[in-house]
Amino acid sequence: MTARDVRRVSRLLRCYPRSWRARYGDEFTELLLAELAERPRSWRRTADVVSSGLLARFTRAGLSSHELPPAEQIRAGLATLGCALAALMTFGVAMLAQLATGLQWASPRAGATAAGAAIMSVAAGCLVLIGIAAATPVAWRAIIAVLVNQDARLAGPVAVALTSAVILVAGSRHFQNGWPGTGGTAAQHGLVPAGLAAFGWASTLSVSSYWAHPALLGAFPRPEVAWMIVSPFAVIGLVAGVAIVMRRLILPPMLLRYQSFLASAASLAAVIFLVGAASWVLGPRPGQEGLFHPGLVDTLGLMAMAMALIVALRAALGMRHASQVLRQAD
Amino acid sequence: MNKRLPIYRAPIYDGPVPRSAGDGGSASNGSLATFGRYAGPATLILSSLADGAKHGYALTKDIEQFAGIRLAPGTLYEALSRLEGQGLIEALASDDRRRPYQLTSAGAQALRVHLDDQRRVAEVGLGRLTKSWGPA
Repeated sequence: MTARDVRRVSRLLRCYPRSWRARYGDEFTELLLAELAERPRSWRRTADVVSSGLLARFTRAGLSSHELPPAEQIRAGLATLGCALAALMTFGVAMLAQLATGLQWASPRAGATAAGAAIMSVAAGCLVLIGIAAATPVAWRAIIAVLVNQDARLAGPVAVALTSAVILVAGSRHFQNGWPGTGGTAAQHGLVPAGLAAFGWASTLSVSSYWAHPALLGAFPRPEVAWMIVSPFAVIGLVAGVAIVMRRLILPPMLLRYQSFLASAASLAAVIFLVGAASWVLGPRPGQEGLFHPGLVDTLGLMAMAMALIVALRAALGMRHASQVLRQAD
Repeated sequence: MNKRLPIYRAPIYDGPVPRSAGDGGSASNGSLATFGRYAGPATLILSSLADGAKHGYALTKDIEQFAGIRLAPGTLYEALSRLEGQGLIEALASDDRRRPYQLTSAGAQALRVHLDDQRRVAEVGLGRLTKSWGPA
């Protein structure tokens, strides 16, 4: 055994999640060192370890066919679904905010654009309601766990989530004053109230094609550019904090099944939202001028949303199976 | 013979999945049917453990000897973790870093049922071969 072998094994082990390494790391290291001593080079072995490590990570995220115990599967699925839907909605809200801004000033000539905006608005509304219904009992239990039961494992992620949420809301409230829809006639504002559209626009300012045009970006007010840099970190902090709380918070079976049901509903709403976004981005170009014209950033956003939706659907499916096992056990 | 099959791509050992098992993979029903593409490695591991406890490397060598298949490390441990999760094998305490595994009674039962099923299929196939193509 050489120091180089040990380093190679250590690198390969990093493919696996921490919890897997804690359980199998020592014995797996011994096996890999024995394998390396016998056959120093094997790309098949490396590929096998890397793919198995990724599979272990997918499993831990509630995304593989190898399901975890039901309660853990639902908690993992909730965390993954939350992250996926947050990614989807970050791009989605940016799109919807652009359309809502355009609707302050003019009526779209393309039917697909109007239909897309309406579908996205309704689906986003449903997602918000589902999110509130899901978050309320979880937040209550998290507060009890932190304040009453003094659960130190939850205190950190709760603090990160709350801090990030405060930064995101305060920053968005401040920068929404520069919303380009202000001053519009509002005659065509559609389903999205101006205040919400402005908040959505400000919170997703970082989803912008201006990153590809540094000269134009340089003309922006410094605080706005700073917010474009800071706001994604606030979103990541909020989502990561909530996801870790979901992984660690012990919830009763009935609440887990309730969350699983809401996850299915949220996935359906996300599918509808994506259909709305696709009808705008992929719709016929004639009649899509000004803010109604989808750019490259919207096409890329649509692709990212589709990938996020696939992840969300896989997580929801795993949660549904686990929920059925829980119901049978009751 | 040193045929290397690091990843089983076809779920050749899959049988009809009972509803209770299909609805929750981790809910053990004492069957290997829920293992998907890991049913093959799982069968080899259980067969190897049938004559006594072994650690990872010993399992690899034993399986290579009796089946001519060398399980790659990632595949071996993925199958081990699934078997352990379903209670078909259990880890034994060990003083060194190599932890041995042994078959549980549920694992022995699952292996027996699975191999009986395979033997029935093998007997039918061999019988038909002999009938249509003559004895080997």
